Amino acid sequence: MSRLPRWARVGLLGGFIVIYLGAVGMLESFSARPIVTGVIQFSVVLIAVVYMSSGYLAARPGKDELESNPRRSAPLAGVVAGALVGVFVIAMTLLAEAGYNPRDMFIAINPALLDILTFGQSIWAGLVIEVVLGGVLGLAASYLYTSSPNTRSIVVTTLTTVVMVALAAPLFTVMFDGLGIPDSWLFQREGLTVIGAIVVATATAFLKWYLLKTGGARKAMLQVPKVTEKNINLTLWLAAGVVLTVLPWIVNTFISDVLGTVGLYILLGLGLNIVVGYAGLLDLGYVAFFAVGAYSIAVLTANTSFLVGGTVNAPAAEGFMNFWVALPITIVIAVIIGVLIGAPVLRLRGDYLAIVTLGFGEIIRTLVLSDWLKPYLGGPQGITQIPPPPLGPLNTRDPRILYYLILAFVVISFFIATRLKYSRVGRAWAAMREDEDVAEGMGISVVLYKILAFVMGAAVGCLGGAFFATKLSVANPGSFTLLVSINVLAVVVLGGMGSIPGVIVGSLVLVGLPELLREFGEFRLHIYGIILVAIMLLKPEGLIPDARRARELHHEDEEPITDVAHVAIAGGHE
Amino acid sequence: MTAPLSLNRNGHSLTTNVSSRNYRILFERLPVRRIILITLALVISYGVIVGTVATLQTGRYTTADWVNLFVAGVARGSVYAIIALGYTLVYGILFIINFAHGEVFMAGTFTTFFIASGLSSTGVLNQYPIPSLILLFLCSALVSMLVAVILERVAYRPLRGAPRLVPLITAIGASLFLQYTFRGFYGAQVNAYPNIDILQGTISLGGYNVQKSQILVTLGALLLWLALFFVIERTKLGRAMRAVGEDREIAALMGINVDRTIISTFAIGGALAGAAGILFVQLFNSVWFFMGFIPGIKAFTAAVLGGIGSITGAALGGLVLGILEAVGPILFLTGLGIPSPNQLQPIISFGILVLVLIFRPGGFLGAPEEKRA
Repeated sequence: MSRLPRWARVGLLGGFIVIYLGAVGMLESFSARPIVTGVIQFSVVLIAVVYMSSGYLAARPGKDELESNPRRSAPLAGVVAGALVGVFVIAMTLLAEAGYNPRDMFIAINPALLDILTFGQSIWAGLVIEVVLGGVLGLAASYLYTSSPNTRSIVVTTLTTVVMVALAAPLFTVMFDGLGIPDSWLFQREGLTVIGAIVVATATAFLKWYLLKTGGARKAMLQVPKVTEKNINLTLWLAAGVVLTVLPWIVNTFISDVLGTVGLYILLGLGLNIVVGYAGLLDLGYVAFFAVGAYSIAVLTANTSFLVGGTVNAPAAEGFMNFWVALPITIVIAVIIGVLIGAPVLRLRGDYLAIVTLGFGEIIRTLVLSDWLKPYLGGPQGITQIPPPPLGPLNTRDPRILYYLILAFVVISFFIATRLKYSRVGRAWAAMREDEDVAEGMGISVVLYKILAFVMGAAVGCLGGAFFATKLSVANPGSFTLLVSINVLAVVVLGGMGSIPGVIVGSLVLVGLPELLREFGEFRLHIYGIILVAIMLLKPEGLIPDARRARELHHEDEEPITDVAHVAIAGGHE
Repeated sequence: MTAPLSLNRNGHSLTTNVSSRNYRILFERLPVRRIILITLALVISYGVIVGTVATLQTGRYTTADWVNLFVAGVARGSVYAIIALGYTLVYGILFIINFAHGEVFMAGTFTTFFIASGLSSTGVLNQYPIPSLILLFLCSALVSMLVAVILERVAYRPLRGAPRLVPLITAIGASLFLQYTFRGFYGAQVNAYPNIDILQGTISLGGYNVQKSQILVTLGALLLWLALFFVIERTKLGRAMRAVGEDREIAALMGINVDRTIISTFAIGGALAGAAGILFVQLFNSVWFFMGFIPGIKAFTAAVLGGIGSITGAALGGLVLGILEAVGPILFLTGLGIPSPNQLQPIISFGILVLVLIFRPGGFLGAPEEKRA
């Protein structure tokens, strides 16, 4: 590896990434999603991004070089990447012709994929196209590399925005239809029209240019007389409030339902954020509390619950109690279970704690699945016919009403989480997270505060579970797998551990988007995995970092982490 | 960790002076943890003893049944032990839990499924069973080794020296990533690994009928373990690995190539996991992308049970876990009148994990409190 020049290594890596994306089936699935309808699909955008990134990386000087020759190395890297892909296509075709169909093993390496990679041409023409494409994009990347930071920022923002708007086209279409705005000039069959793409690109580029010129939106607004920092904040909060209030009425019920799910994950994320972000305890069994909440509410309110002697076929007249009476009881149950689980294990070191909580999550899931507890918890079928929360004359089965209910609890939790963070307790957690022994020496009872964090997380998680159960009107073991814990963890990690706005962004990106982009649904967990690794390697403090947490994550070894970014992307060295 | 707590119990805690509010003092003095622990220990011992006695009294199971369960447990435990070695080696040297190790195990096993089914459909597998098995072992070990090495290179090496949670979250991400990569590669269906005819059926051993495959698995695992033991104790690489585990900086000063030693550790652990996969499919012959997760967690349990970082501990932990898992549900739970006790088997495995970590975090052979970092 070390003999190869940097551009060759980066190029090969890029080629392998394209082949990987093809072999796991992403390219084929994403080719169904147009970016500019009839012109370019998302799969092509992905390939282009890989080639350009290879070129861009190759343009940078290597670890031991003082300067580089971008005009030469970037296109070369692109050519190498394209050539590798082209050769791969030829090899696969020849293999299949020789009677060893690669498809027997790798299900995604099929004619459809080869067609995407050759752009519908013959395999030899495909090789030429890939090489040229790689070279051209590499050259483009080298110009991007040598341009001024402002130009680079404008170009990157513009391209990203166009792709994002195009991906979110179905959502925008629904919203525009709801508002009665004609949009056929902008969107066409889930993608942008050519004119739409140009409009979005021009608008973004202009806006970005203007913002760069004036030094950011906030600064630009402050230059207007009588506008103060406080006014802007107030306006932003008001605007957010108005948007959140009217949102369900301009989108359809499906999207309202998705918004409800996002709200649930924000709730869960805020809860887990207390445990992971504030107190620094990695809890992989968070789903346990989610399940406890769902099952408690189910047993207490469903008319099929054993408490009222009902069964699925012969439900009782009504549940044991009203949702609003059951909710506090559910939270008390979660708190008790939180203390019972937390007290014995919280003295364990971080990584052991993670595994033990994971074990607890699995134990709870096994218990609810078992024949042993079937008379009480319903075994694999779970408990059905959970009534919606009664709310005066309102029908809480309607996703829109449920949305407001969840929103209300999200706002309450948001408020509590914010206040908690800057309270005495929050500072104690921060101290404990940074150095347990020192915190203990400063008079903080570490065990007490750990239990407190664990229990608060449990209570919020349980609240989420209760709403989840009433939203689906059923609580069954299939909903409480380890993946829920990992989803919530991904939400917290992406946004930034300890960051409250981060949780909201994390939920929108990781829970909201995959629901809307059905092609992504299949790769949701795949992408979660990539995000978890990438965030930890490149930006462990998350997208919207909490200031204190960011300092913690960077103070120890500034060197290795920055160093890492190169190495991880560039592939092998020495 | 222990010292300040005992101070709390005696009422000389530093916090007593600081906190003026009485309820807090009361709560801090109250040994909540100790009360919960003792209750937990009593309840579990009571359940196990009563359950065992009651099960044995029913006389529903003959001695032959128990022997069968025991042997099945030993075979299963041997596989756990070999996978556990991967956790133990990595933990011993880097002090991180390689959460994705189960997926390393899956990678080799799932990939060789295609070779095995090719061999099986051409009849080679049953015609030349031993060369075929060796080929499968080598391929599986190679693929798993490759995955483990890439994992170390891409995901873990950049994070050396980062706060503990960071590599753990990376490992969880890598685990998901590998699962879904192989799902994308080979599909989501569950595949039946082809059987080898000569390994089917039972042979008589000391008056009891024992499955041939279980004997092969146990012996295979023993061989792998001995090979590893030799590598660690008798070779230069093994000495380098122990030295790096002891103190990375000093080892580097002594002229050991730390990076190479660490990557070798991952390679050895990965190869063992891949080989263990071929043993695993002789016992449970379904392969799919999620197959690595549960054995991975159980092997981790085995490693913790025996004392993470210790090779003998991994073997011991694996065997104890395997046997408890096979015998436990029926022995402890039937007597308590719990229906379908085998459903609750995960509770036994995870219960053991939780209890070991609570009562003896160092495991059987580890120090009572591991190095804290």
